[in-house]
Amino acid sequence: MAEPQARPDGIAGSALPGPFSVGRYAADLREYLRARARVQLFGEVWNLRVSRTKLYFELRDAAGALPCSMWRNELEALQLSEGALADGAQVVIAGGLDYYTGSKTSSPSFSFAVTALRVAGEGDLLAQLERLRKTLDAEGLFAPQKRLERPGLPRTIGVVTGEGGKARDDVLAGLRRRGWAGRVVWGFAPVQDRHAAPRITAALQDLAGTGEVDVIVVARGGGSLADLFCFCDETLCRTVALLGVPVIASVGHHTDRTLIDDVAALSCSTPTHAAESAVPVHCRDARAELLRCAHRLSVHARRALLHRAQTLVRLSRAPSEHLAGERRRLHQRLREIRASGRRRVEDERKRVGRRALVINRRVQAEALDARRAAGLNALALALAAHDPERTLERGYALVSDRDGEVVTSAAAARGARSVSVRFSDAAVDATISRDDDDRA
Amino acid sequence: MTEPDEQLTYEAATARLEEIIKRLDSGEAGLRGTLELCREGRTLVELCAAELEAVGAGLEELRLEDLVARLEAGAAAQGPPSG
Repeated sequence: MAEPQARPDGIAGSALPGPFSVGRYAADLREYLRARARVQLFGEVWNLRVSRTKLYFELRDAAGALPCSMWRNELEALQLSEGALADGAQVVIAGGLDYYTGSKTSSPSFSFAVTALRVAGEGDLLAQLERLRKTLDAEGLFAPQKRLERPGLPRTIGVVTGEGGKARDDVLAGLRRRGWAGRVVWGFAPVQDRHAAPRITAALQDLAGTGEVDVIVVARGGGSLADLFCFCDETLCRTVALLGVPVIASVGHHTDRTLIDDVAALSCSTPTHAAESAVPVHCRDARAELLRCAHRLSVHARRALLHRAQTLVRLSRAPSEHLAGERRRLHQRLREIRASGRRRVEDERKRVGRRALVINRRVQAEALDARRAAGLNALALALAAHDPERTLERGYALVSDRDGEVVTSAAAARGARSVSVRFSDAAVDATISRDDDDRA
Repeated sequence: MTEPDEQLTYEAATARLEEIIKRLDSGEAGLRGTLELCREGRTLVELCAAELEAVGAGLEELRLEDLVARLEAGAAAQGPPSG
């Protein structure tokens, strides 16, 4: 603000002093608050936020709360262990009230300026949360939801979320990413204030009670654990645990684990992820896969039918093929028999021919022999006719000299004097006497 | 042959379908078995296609109170249960 404006008139009839310029009043207020006694306070840290130079948080207990701020260099000087100062931490702080007066362009703020801090231990709320977590676990309430069968392809999905929150759009984006376009039933409920837990519980019960919802997504965007504390409500968690419909929780982020994350069937880090988990089947891929399966079945069926047809054709052809085969075999046998017969006849013919030739030759030889024998007989007879032996048998005698020469005349006989006279049965020697000469 | 159950879930149907395809691809099924598997597979494909069709027609958004009102109207139209 440049210069204070000219002081306007006050409110007519008002007995209060002024009007004063707000900047001056704010500065006076700051001085007033700063003049208050500096004290120590204790409570739980919630909504812890850290900026470049300062950290801000609320110090709470069951009765009330106070906004607090602290310079980062003063906190770092305390050298606290990492994570010691977090939502739910029980702390003791020292400091005093302060007021930032703001300006024309910046908002004023009131806070308790912390100059010293000590972490006293785990906050009551977190301790309560942990006790409840253990109780529910001991009662076995983390298990029932996880035993429920989650459909791969739900037709109707119930969603419990804030009506104006970003989680709603994230859920729809997750469903679109899955290619899912079924029915979404919105169970809108506040997801932050103290009325949230009963409304969320009622929405869950109503959704399950319709009998139309296959799976329920409970979604809320990120926030501090304090903001998400409604999702740690005991009644809500017991309701979820015993619900007959699977519940997928997506509350805050993984760093802020609420009890509904433990009792739900599944806990996801974002509403988009929760929506995708509600539809495990990717619909576009599933359609493509189904087409592939249908095609495979069609191919197998066609092949099977073709095979059957081929078998039938083969079977139908079998008798005629068998007959043709038999016919071929018989013809072959017949040809073989005929050939064999011809060979046999030929062989016989040749053999008979050979035998006939042999016989013929033998007959001819025998005839020749006969002829020869006859000739020989004739010759023998002729010879016999001329045989001197035959003459001798008739009473003639053959005279030969000592040298065996035939004596054919009486003169020769006389000259030989001693001759051999052969008769048919034997020869006898004879001497030619002189008397014979005389008689001659 | 196993007849597909009317109440078969999509996951069970696709699992059985994959089993059938694997069996057919293995070539171990006989002629009759192949035809029966193909028949069962086609029924499962139709079932799965119907399921996909149901979530593919178009996103329908409904408020819980509207669904409840619709169900109550449907129950009223059918009349009170006799007995």
